Amino acid sequence: MSSLIIERPLPHGGRLVERVIRDKEAAKKMIKGCPTYEIKPTLHYETGVPVRNVYREIMSICYGFFSPVEGSMKKAEVERILKERRLLNDWIFPYPLVFDISKEEYKELGVTAGDRLVLNLKGKPFAILDIEEIWEIEDPEELAHKTFGTPEDNPEVVKEPFNKKHPGWVIYRSLQPIVLAGKYTIINEPKFRAPFDRFWFPPRKCREEFDNRNWRTAICHQTRNVPHVGHEFLMKNAAYTGDVEPCHGILVNAIIGVKRRGDYPDEAILEGQEAVTTAGYIKSERRLVSMCLWDMRYGNPLESLLHGIIRQNMGCTHHMFGRDHAAVGEYYDKWSTQILWTEGIPSFGFPKPPTDVPYGLNIRPQNMREFSYCPTCKEMAYSETCGHKREKLSGSFLRGMVAEGVQPPAIIMRPEVYKAVVKWWKHFNYPFCNEKYVINKEKELEVDLEDL
Amino acid sequence: MAYFIVVLLDDNRFDKIKGTELEKEVQYMFGGELRCLNVEVSEELKEKILKEFDTARIDSRGAITDVPVAFLRELFNQVADKKTLGGEVIEGVLAKVDEIKELAAKESEFLPAPDIEV
Repeated sequence: MSSLIIERPLPHGGRLVERVIRDKEAAKKMIKGCPTYEIKPTLHYETGVPVRNVYREIMSICYGFFSPVEGSMKKAEVERILKERRLLNDWIFPYPLVFDISKEEYKELGVTAGDRLVLNLKGKPFAILDIEEIWEIEDPEELAHKTFGTPEDNPEVVKEPFNKKHPGWVIYRSLQPIVLAGKYTIINEPKFRAPFDRFWFPPRKCREEFDNRNWRTAICHQTRNVPHVGHEFLMKNAAYTGDVEPCHGILVNAIIGVKRRGDYPDEAILEGQEAVTTAGYIKSERRLVSMCLWDMRYGNPLESLLHGIIRQNMGCTHHMFGRDHAAVGEYYDKWSTQILWTEGIPSFGFPKPPTDVPYGLNIRPQNMREFSYCPTCKEMAYSETCGHKREKLSGSFLRGMVAEGVQPPAIIMRPEVYKAVVKWWKHFNYPFCNEKYVINKEKELEVDLEDL
Repeated sequence: MAYFIVVLLDDNRFDKIKGTELEKEVQYMFGGELRCLNVEVSEELKEKILKEFDTARIDSRGAITDVPVAFLRELFNQVADKKTLGGEVIEGVLAKVDEIKELAAKESEFLPAPDIEV
């Protein structure tokens, strides 16, 4: 075997976290006599609009997407993350993840460390939280600033102070003050509604799927968008990396969670991505569309770190990163994700790239620039290869075109992808997420639960 | 950085500027599959647009996007009326900001889907 062969990496932390009880009788015994709390969305601290639902974090933790994280974090762990981006067990991790409640709810529950709390979702038992510590967030605004960085503390990449226009900052600013820290365990597996159900490949299942497809190497494409042809070419070409041969597979992993107004609905994103495969632009043997539940923090380099963790846990050997990765606004340097993965960002605790530090990652970054249409070549061309003046593609430009009722030319959006957009446009009476969609989505969520 | 807003031209819109000086400004994109006009936007007017419309974004080309459809329709009306791509057309649009916001509030609830088979 060639020494150049790349093997599938172990999960981050060495083993996959799986905290799901499938025996209903055992689950019933586990929750007997325990206090119950109904999970509620986190509401914007000013407007009251839902900005996060902790159920998504519980799902992603318990199914192993965020391995080795096992629950809501203790105060010391949050402090270490904000300082060094490391968990207490030394493995790197970008964000604080906490189960937060109001002071009134805390008083009403009357729980203490050592108690088990049953977490209901949509009125049904969903998970348990074994409380190990209870602590208070004294200043959520400070927490929000420390989570994303500041121009003074992180001058390598942070260009503007974060504020309420940044949806990730708003999530942390909107947290309730009391944190119940401890491990989560799902005791009643939620059932995904269509179309989400067919895209649910939690890490163990995803790794098994890679085995079934004989994918030793796989490159991940992060998405929160309906694909245009530039994305398609990015995927096709990034997949030429690999080891002694191109990557065997392309894993499309969509982040599904709270949306911003103007985004495409999650349903259209997933089915639009699927259409690229079903219509044969990239054959199904080579491409798998999947999802992960997470309310995007839009933390650019920090988000890329989380993406690396999620996709290594899913079994990917490579991850493509582009300009303005998982970014919104101009808070971070456009290339800060690529800076992180090629040089490191010392002020965030990375004197070297996250693949080169102790307890770091084993997934390989594939830093890509962009594809756009070249009228001279008459094809999609790579920015670093084509020497002509090209016409840049942008998702926002496409959204404007769609909103005006103009079908994008096939050279920039495949007609099958457009049909997926129109299908969900007809369903929601709107092509993008509006306030009604955002509020309904957070009421209905992506799942239903049966009685335990 | 120079900012701009793209005004897409379907056949109906193109007819309204045909034969005027603006016709020379028409650009063809994506192998001739799309016709459009680019309206330049100053830094000051860009800030005003972002302040008035919270969905508005700047894309990787420096284009201002994700403004309400009512904004784009009024922008074309201003272009067709004033026969220019100068700053006065954006000022003309912003002068009607309340009217546009009222229309945008309705369009954030409903936009008719294209009549295509899905």
